[in-house]
Amino acid sequence: MQSGFDRRRINGPEESNPPIFEDEETPTWNVGIPRRNRASFDIRPIFLQPGLTNQATGSAYIETQNTKIACAVFGPRQAKNVAFNEKGRLNVDVKFAPFSCDRRRAPMRDAEDRSIAMAIHQAIGPSVRLDVLPKSIIDIFITIVESDGIEGCVAAGSIAASTALTDAGIEVFGLVASCSAAAVREDIWLDPSLRESQESRGILVLSCMPALSTVTSIWQTGNMSTGDVLACMDACNSRCTDIHSVIAQALLEST
Amino acid sequence: MTTTSDIFQRLHPRAYLERFLAEHVRPDGRPFDVGRDLGVNVGSISTADGSALVRLGNTTVVCGVKAEIAEPELDVGLQGFLVPNLDLPAMCSPRFKPGPPSEEAQVLSDRLNDALVASHILPLTSLSIHPNKAAWVLYVDAICINYDGNVFDAALIAMVEALRNTQLPKATYDEETGRTTCSRKIKVPLELDHTHLPVPLSFGVFDSTHALADPTSFEEPLLDTTISIILSNTNPDHLISVTQLGAGHDALLSCIEAAKARCREIVGRDIYK
Repeated sequence: MQSGFDRRRINGPEESNPPIFEDEETPTWNVGIPRRNRASFDIRPIFLQPGLTNQATGSAYIETQNTKIACAVFGPRQAKNVAFNEKGRLNVDVKFAPFSCDRRRAPMRDAEDRSIAMAIHQAIGPSVRLDVLPKSIIDIFITIVESDGIEGCVAAGSIAASTALTDAGIEVFGLVASCSAAAVREDIWLDPSLRESQESRGILVLSCMPALSTVTSIWQTGNMSTGDVLACMDACNSRCTDIHSVIAQALLEST
Repeated sequence: MTTTSDIFQRLHPRAYLERFLAEHVRPDGRPFDVGRDLGVNVGSISTADGSALVRLGNTTVVCGVKAEIAEPELDVGLQGFLVPNLDLPAMCSPRFKPGPPSEEAQVLSDRLNDALVASHILPLTSLSIHPNKAAWVLYVDAICINYDGNVFDAALIAMVEALRNTQLPKATYDEETGRTTCSRKIKVPLELDHTHLPVPLSFGVFDSTHALADPTSFEEPLLDTTISIILSNTNPDHLISVTQLGAGHDALLSCIEAAKARCREIVGRDIYK
């Protein structure tokens, strides 16, 4: 991968390529056979710990098996050099660690982290009481240490961001829980891994505030019928209630 | 909750630290020569070829090694590449802004590179796959998750532990096709020099009188001198590198003695097990 010459970093050779393997990876699971290791509606266990980055106003670390994400919230701070704004602004910045994916990510801003940042912004934006923070900016920084599927990153990132916001003591309407679902053949699988999402027809990420029974964001891609979408939403919505109690428990234990 | 002492610390950091040092104790309760707790966790990142997480007090650094294949430099056809970089993202401290590496990150990356080169931990010739045609490039990327001072020590330990954890697939170069292929089944660890792993120990000198071991992010900006000593893991009398940034003459020798004692204490127990 060409990272280009950047004198601000220690540079390697101009061009390097990931290794090519002669033998294929032994598949742990094949298309057509039932899901391995967990039932269709099971999600990966969530480990959530608020307050890991003590330099930040609020922070959270989330791990769902192979997905590992750290999130820190700074602010609210004064918005400088911008016109007066009655509502506060939310900045979401997502960064992939170079070693977070199968292929090394050269340290450059690529398009993917921005689309993830936007998805997370949409998921948590409606939950934050920006109306009580005029002229201010809240920064949310997310580092993806290890990724196992983009949808999982968006869901876990939203949960971490909402937890970190609460940990920072920023007023929110409710906690945001988020869950992804994939349509694989005739089945619906919750919280798909990277391998599973590659085999799916379409994927949906639903973010909601279970305490207020409101949905904050739905992100759907791929080829799904309306029935599929509604079934996915139902499945995600009911699982989000469980995730909500995981977040609440983690926040209670950290105080 | 903000207490009066927090406000005093914020407004008069220097006076705050002086009051503690006058009582021969540091704000976090440590004596001058004691480092913070050190914890290492290796191999938790499955997408990396080797990884390590190091916690030094509250300072947290994650390091992952990614191996790629490249053509060697023309003048050194038998050598591979070791590319260490430290990232201080905006999330680790309010001092950093998002964007390209800050000056501090650049300086630290450079010092880490120097330390790895000076310790001869990994002979670059061991990364060769085929002379002049193919060699491994090891991208050693460390990311600071929480910046609470002395990131240099934490990052260097994380890098060495990640390298110790790294396994490369067996690679073969096909002269006819000019392609390098690897095997998933056979994996070999790096040919590291396990007798000279660098053990970094940093000190800060406050007011040219007190040498503080393993300074925190609160103490760091108030120090006039920073001393980094790198010792060898098997023989603490073997110095790999000594760096002093700032003035001061008599602190260096006492710091080296303190570093030796601390090195004997942590090697094998906390690091390089």
